[in-house]
Amino acid sequence: MTPLADRFLRPRTGPLTADLVQTPGEFGLGRVPQRLKPNAITTAVCGFCATGCGLNLHLRNGEAINISAATQYPVNLGMACPKGWEALTPLDAPDRATTPLLRNRHGALQPIDWKRAARAFCENFQRIQREHGPDSLAFLSTGQIVSEEMALLGAVAKFGMGILHGDGNTRQCMATAVTAYKESFGFDAPPYTYADFEQSDVVVLIGSNLCIAHPIMWQRVVRNRNHPAIIVIDPRRTETAMAATQHVALRPKSDPSLFYGLANILIASGWIDRDYIDAHTSGFAEFSEFVTHFTTDRVSAETGVPAEEIWELARTIGQGKRVSFWWTMGVNQSHQATRTAQAIINLALITGNIGRPGTGANSITGQCNAMGSRLFSNTTNLLGGHQFENPAHREKVAAALGIPVERIPDRGSLAYDQIIDGIESGRIRGLWIIATNTAHSWIQSGRAQELLRKLDFLVVQDMYHTTETAQLADLVLPAAGWGEKEGTFINSERRIGVVKKVRRAPGHALADFHIFRLLAEAWGCGHLFREWTSPEAVFQILKRVVRGQPCDISGIEDYREIDAAGGIQWPATRPVEVPERRLFEDGKFYTADGRARIVFEEPRPVPEPVDDEFPLFLLTGRGTSSQWHTQTRTGKSDVLRKLYPADVHLEIHPKDASRLGITPESKVTISSRRGTVTARAFVTPTVQEGHVFLPMHFPVTNLLTHNEVDPYSRQPAYKACAVRVTPARPS
Amino acid sequence: MSIDALDAPATGEMTLIDRLLAEQRELTAVERFSQRHDRNALPLQAQYYQDLIPLTKPRPGEQYAFEVDMDKCTGCKACVSACHSLNGLEEHETWRDIGKIVGGFDDTPYQQTVTTACHHCVDPACANGCPVLAYEKDTETGIVRHLDDQCIGCQYCSLKCPYDVPKYSKSKGIVRKCDMCSSRLAAGEAPACVQACPTSAIRIVTVRTDQVIARSTRDTRLVPGAYRSDYTKPTTRFVTKRRIPADARPANSLRPHPEHSHLPLVNMLTLTQIAVGLLLAQALVPRFSGTLPLPFLVAHVSPVNVAGLIALHLGLAASVLHLGQPLKAWRVFLGLRKSWLSREVAAFGLLPPLAIGAVFLPASLALPAAILGLFCVFTSIMVYADTHREFWSFPRTTARFYGTVAIFATAGVAFLTGTFAAAFAAAILVTVKLGSEIWFLRNAQRADGSADSLSAQLILGKPLVLLARVLLAGTSSLLLITVRPESIAIACLCLAVSEWIERYQFFTCVVAHRMPGK
Repeated sequence: MTPLADRFLRPRTGPLTADLVQTPGEFGLGRVPQRLKPNAITTAVCGFCATGCGLNLHLRNGEAINISAATQYPVNLGMACPKGWEALTPLDAPDRATTPLLRNRHGALQPIDWKRAARAFCENFQRIQREHGPDSLAFLSTGQIVSEEMALLGAVAKFGMGILHGDGNTRQCMATAVTAYKESFGFDAPPYTYADFEQSDVVVLIGSNLCIAHPIMWQRVVRNRNHPAIIVIDPRRTETAMAATQHVALRPKSDPSLFYGLANILIASGWIDRDYIDAHTSGFAEFSEFVTHFTTDRVSAETGVPAEEIWELARTIGQGKRVSFWWTMGVNQSHQATRTAQAIINLALITGNIGRPGTGANSITGQCNAMGSRLFSNTTNLLGGHQFENPAHREKVAAALGIPVERIPDRGSLAYDQIIDGIESGRIRGLWIIATNTAHSWIQSGRAQELLRKLDFLVVQDMYHTTETAQLADLVLPAAGWGEKEGTFINSERRIGVVKKVRRAPGHALADFHIFRLLAEAWGCGHLFREWTSPEAVFQILKRVVRGQPCDISGIEDYREIDAAGGIQWPATRPVEVPERRLFEDGKFYTADGRARIVFEEPRPVPEPVDDEFPLFLLTGRGTSSQWHTQTRTGKSDVLRKLYPADVHLEIHPKDASRLGITPESKVTISSRRGTVTARAFVTPTVQEGHVFLPMHFPVTNLLTHNEVDPYSRQPAYKACAVRVTPARPS
Repeated sequence: MSIDALDAPATGEMTLIDRLLAEQRELTAVERFSQRHDRNALPLQAQYYQDLIPLTKPRPGEQYAFEVDMDKCTGCKACVSACHSLNGLEEHETWRDIGKIVGGFDDTPYQQTVTTACHHCVDPACANGCPVLAYEKDTETGIVRHLDDQCIGCQYCSLKCPYDVPKYSKSKGIVRKCDMCSSRLAAGEAPACVQACPTSAIRIVTVRTDQVIARSTRDTRLVPGAYRSDYTKPTTRFVTKRRIPADARPANSLRPHPEHSHLPLVNMLTLTQIAVGLLLAQALVPRFSGTLPLPFLVAHVSPVNVAGLIALHLGLAASVLHLGQPLKAWRVFLGLRKSWLSREVAAFGLLPPLAIGAVFLPASLALPAAILGLFCVFTSIMVYADTHREFWSFPRTTARFYGTVAIFATAGVAFLTGTFAAAFAAAILVTVKLGSEIWFLRNAQRADGSADSLSAQLILGKPLVLLARVLLAGTSSLLLITVRPESIAIACLCLAVSEWIERYQFFTCVVAHRMPGK
C-alpha cells in the first residue's frame, strides 16, 4: 500500500484511539491516560489489610479518579496488591446503602430518614435496656474503620449509652496474638518493623500464606539480600510454600508439638542464647524441663513431619544469626492458638532472636486497623490498652476524656462468642453490628444467622445493604466507606497512617464518625462528647489517653505530621527521625519485672477429630490475593472478580478424589455435623491426602466449621473440623 | 431520649443531621494536606524499574518481548489491576490475565501462577486474520499494535489468537489489546505491569526474531497447557529454575468452558448454507416448470429459488449485525491477501447478483450461482479451520458446512422433482450428519482435558438443546421420505432449526486455545 493510501485506509487517530492516549501524569507519576490526568495527588493508607500500603490518590478537583501505589511510602515502596489498585471501585457499587432502612410490619426493609432512624435506634435499644438491664445490649465493632471512629463508638456505647458488652471482628483474627503478647511481653506489642523481613538470614513463616495474603510483605522478603533460608510451616503446599527453601507440611494444629520439639533440640544442642535467657526471660528452667518430653520421635509421630526434617529445621534456626518468626491465621485460629503463638515466642526468646534487626516473634495482622482496634476499640480493653478492672486506669481515662469516672464500667465485655451465646440464652437482646458481616464470617454461621434472627432488635451499620448480615437487620444505617472519610489506621508494624476524604459518599450515607455523633445526641449523651468534633480532634484526645503507655503517641503533632512522615510507628513520645523502628532493643519487656515470660502448656488434640463418619479434615483460609474476607467490597470489582474462580471449589487430593469416586471438576457434597454444602471439586496435590480446603470467602464455608474457641483468646478455630465429601447426586 | 435535640439548629439554621450531611459532602484532602510532590516531578517509580527495561532500542532482526520469571511470580496478581488502572481500561476490561498450573500429582506437589498478556508474536495470528489490517507489527520494536479506529469489531482476531489476547468491548464495538505500553517504553518508562510487580518478575527484554522462530516448534509451548508455539511464534519467555513436573496442567484444564455463541454468525452460516443448498438444487433441476402465485414476479419462478434468495439475504444481513462497527466494514477488501474473513466477505458479496439473476435466467445462471455459492461456503469453512481449534478443524467444519448444503440441495431436488430417491438421500444425509455428531459425544467419557472431550461435555451439558436437535432432525427425516411437497417444505423448516442448533453448538462448544486459567 502506498503511504497515502495507507493513511486514508488505515487511520491511526480518531476518537477510539484517543481514548487510550497517555500523557505525562506529573507529580512523579509517569505517564497516565490523558482522560485520567490528575490536577493534584495525595497519599492515603489502603483500607483492606494490615500491611498498610500507601496509595497515591489521583485527584481532580479534590475527587479521586484513579489510584497508584505510592513510590515513597516506607511500607510498600511503590507496590500494591490488586485490592489496593482497585480500592476506589467498591465505592461505586450499585448496592451501596444510601439511606437508613427500617424493617416494616411486612418484614421488608423500607427507606427512612436519619431522624426516624435515630429514633428507632434509641427507642428500641432504650426499651430493651429498661426491660432487661444493661447486660442485654451489645455491639460488635470492627477492624475496618479508623481508630478515631472505633474510639468514639466504644466511648459512646459504653460511657454514653451504658451498653456493657462490646467486641470486635478482630476476635476472629488477632485476639490470639493480643493474648499471647500480653502474657509473654506484658503488653500487646508486635515487636517488628517490615525492614526485619529484609535483614533476616532465616525467615520462618507459620500458618501464613504471605505471598497471597500479604503480597507486599512478601515483596520485602524478596528484597532480602542475605539469600535467607525461608521456612514455611503449613499443611498445604501454598504459593508461599512453593517459594520456600524448606516446606514443613505438618498435620493441622500439631504446631505446639513441633515447636516444643524444636525447643528441645535447640536446648539439648546448645543452640540457644543463654545470656539472653538469663538476663531477659523468666520461666526457662521449667520450660527446658517441660520440652524434654517432646522427643523427636514423639513430635514426628504427632506432626507427621519426618525426624530428619525436624532436625534440619532446628539446625537452620539454631545456626541462624538473625532468625525471624512470623505467624498469621494458621496459628491464631486454633483451639490452642494462644499457646501455639507463645510456643513461637518462646523459640525467639531462647535463641535471643528478638530486639535485633531481622529477628522477632512477629504476628502479622489481618485487617487494616486491627491494631487500632486492639488499642482503641474500648471493648475488652479500656481505651488505650488499659484495663477496665483497674481503678487507676479508670481514673486516668476518665480524666483524659473529661467524663465522670462512674461512667466507666469496672469490668470488661463478653467476648464475641459469648455475645453470640448470650443471644441463645436470652441474655443479649439488642445488637449493633458495625462494618462486619457476622452472618457470613462467624464460625458455624448457620447457627449465627439463626441467633441474629432471634434478637429483639438488630442494627447493622455498613456500606452495603446487601451483606448477609444487613439482610437480617431491623435497622440498616448507611455508612460512608474508606476514601469517603478521614482518620488513622495502625498497620501490622505499629505504623499509624492517615486515610483521607477523596470521594463523596452516595445518598445520605454518613461517615461512621458522624453516625456515632448523631446517635449520641439522639440518645441524650451528646454532652459527654462535645470535644469529639472531628476525627482529628479525637486523635488529640487519644494522645492524652495513651500517655505513659507502651503505645504512647503523644510525640506526634497531628495528621499533617503523620502524612508528611509516611506514617509513624508507636511508640512516638518525641518527634520521630527514623522511618523504621522495632521494640525491645534494650531487652526490657512490659511485664512487671521487665522480663519476657516463657509460657507453655501440654498440647491438646483437635476438638473434632476425623472419624469413620467424617473422615476428612477441612481447612479454610484465604483464596487469592484479590479476595478479602466476606467479599462485600472485593466482590464489587470486575477486575478483582476476574482474578479468582467464581464458584465454590473444594481442594481435594487426587488419591482422596479417586478413592471417593470424585472426578475432577464434578460437583461434590461436603457435610459436617453442622451442615451440608455443595462445591466443585478441584483436584490438586497441594492439599495433603486426608485434608480438603475451602476458601473462606464463600458464604457456605462457615456453615461447616466447628464452633470451638481458644480458651485464652476466645478466637474461633476456623481451620479444623471433620467433614465427609461425596459425589453430588445429579440434580 | 433527646430526639428533639436533632431538630434544634446545631449551627446557624442547620440541624445536626443537615450539618453532618453537608460535612460529608466536603472534599478536604487537598486543603488539609500538603502536596508531597511537585507538579513536574519525573517518574519516581523509575528507581525500581530501570533495570527491568532495555537500555537500547532493538536492532534489525530483534524485537521487544516480555520475560516472566516464574520463580519470582508468587500470585499477587497486581500486574492485572495495575495494567487496568494505569491504562484507563473499561471496568470489565483487562489486558493481562492470570492462571495457575498444578502438577506433581503423584510426587512433589507443584503449583505456579502464570501471568500473561499479548505475546507480540513474530507471526501474529490476529494480524493475519484481520480483514481490515487493523493490526500492525511495529517494524522497530516488534510490538503488535491494534489500530482502534480501524477495527470493525468482527472479533475474528479473538478467534484466531491462541492466547485469548484481543478483548472485545461491547460498548465501544471494537477489540483492544496490550501494546506493551508502547508509549511508556518510547518515553523510557516501563509498562504498567513491569512497574507494578512487587517482586520484579516481569521485565522487557530484546530478543532475536530468528531465535524465537527457531525455538517455536510443533513441540514447544510457552507453558504447560498453552497452544503449540509454531502457530504464531510468541516472543514471551517464561523462565524458571524449578523443574516443572511432566503432569503439570492448567488448573482449569478439565473444566468445560462454554464459548460465546455469536448468534449473528450462527444465523449467517445456517442461512447462507441453506441458500447455497437451494441454489444447487435449482441448478441440478433447471427445467422446473412450476408457477408461483405472486403478483409482480414473472411466472415460472421457482419457490426453491425464492426461498434460497431470502435465506441468502437474511444471512448476509445477520453477518453485518455481528460487527461492532458496521459502517467501517467497507474496508474489508484490505485483508484479501491474508484473511479468509476478507475472502468470505468478498465471495459472498458477488453471490446476490448472480443468485437473483438465476431466478430469471435459470438455464444460464443457476449453475454459475451454485458454483460460486459452493466457493463461498468453502471460504466460510476456511474462516474457522484457520483458527487451529480442534472442534473446527478443516474436515469437521467441511462436513458440517457442506453437510448442511447437501441436505438442502437434496431436499430441494426432492421438492422440485418429487422423486423418492432424492428425498431418501436427503433423509440419509440428515441421519448420517446427526449420527456422526452423536458418535462424537463418546469423547465426553475420556475426561482427559482434551479438546474433544471438553467439547463433548459441553454439548452434553445442554441436554435439552441436544434433544431438540435430535427430535427435529428425526421428524424431518420422516417427513422427507413421504415425498409430498408440503411435507418436504415443513421438513426443510424443521431442518433449518435443527441445523441452526448444530451451528449454535459449533460456536458454544468449541474449545478455544488459551493460556492457563484459574
